[in-house]
Amino acid sequence: MKKLTFLLLILAVILTVASPVYAQTSGAAPAGNWAVPIGVGLGMGLAAGLAGLGQGKVAGSVAEALARNPGARAGIQLALFIGLAFIESLVLFTFVLLFLRTQ
Amino acid sequence: MPEQLWFTEFLNHYFGGLAASLLHAVGVKPAYPSAPITNPVAMEILVVLILLAFFLAVRASMSVDKPGGLQHLVEATEEFIADQAHGVMGHGYERYIPYAVTIGFFILLGNLLGLVPGFESPTASPAVPLGCALLTFVYYHFHGIRTHRWGYIKQFIGPVWALAPLMFLIEVVSHFARILSLTVRLYANMFAGDMVTLAFFSLVPALVPVLFLGLHLFVSLVQTFIFVMLTLVYLGMAVSEEH
Repeated sequence: MKKLTFLLLILAVILTVASPVYAQTSGAAPAGNWAVPIGVGLGMGLAAGLAGLGQGKVAGSVAEALARNPGARAGIQLALFIGLAFIESLVLFTFVLLFLRTQ
Repeated sequence: MPEQLWFTEFLNHYFGGLAASLLHAVGVKPAYPSAPITNPVAMEILVVLILLAFFLAVRASMSVDKPGGLQHLVEATEEFIADQAHGVMGHGYERYIPYAVTIGFFILLGNLLGLVPGFESPTASPAVPLGCALLTFVYYHFHGIRTHRWGYIKQFIGPVWALAPLMFLIEVVSHFARILSLTVRLYANMFAGDMVTLAFFSLVPALVPVLFLGLHLFVSLVQTFIFVMLTLVYLGMAVSEEH
């Protein structure tokens, strides 16, 4: 856990430092271009990973609920699908935004 | 000249002039005057034609004594959606089934068309899901107003009078956010499915992308289901009595 925090902190520092440094060296290559793939990867990874956590919680709860009360399958499945759709749409918003900004 | 699918080319060849004059009449300038019908529109028209043919075939072969395969398929679909609608809305759901089934068939066929070589999903362009979302938005507000008349405003202002202006703003924003989320969910899912297949096709040119086509098939079905379910949920909220 500590290592992860450390890593994230380092990453944050690098990111905050890097943009002004590299913005100044705008030679032949357009400035900030190299950061686009990194940003896309980080953004999409964050969105997908966090949504994965959320959806995992949903799926776990659904499994538990179905084990306790298999008779309520219809209602539980409805809640499952709609809940998953709402969580997933946040990732898709990220995807669309990234796609629009990187074109 | 944009890249055209063969069906688009066919439509532009025969109806291009008509479409151009129609667009001109409403004051829209097409991006390519020589090909005013774009791929998504052509695919939409194709979906409508297929659906028309499908429903005509179903209507022609309908019988009480000897139901055929088509009839079973349609009845099963209708029953499934009606079942779900009953779960979401309770009594009085029958009235809204035709709309839900129709938009479900349209979206399903639109999604699945992308799997056929030589065609592309109309739902993978943002305009088509936006149209469906706007239609749903108008439809459920229409039925909300039809059911509650002036009382429909009560759904927007909440139970506490002092908070009414705040609630009204929040509710209006959230209702418009429904259009956005319905549109982007369907569009992004279809688009991302195409992109993933394409990306893996460029990595491994054989066999592996087929897996993602299978995934895309599953996603198409699920997204159709979600769209129809959310339509029913919103309808149920709009026409519900308590509030």
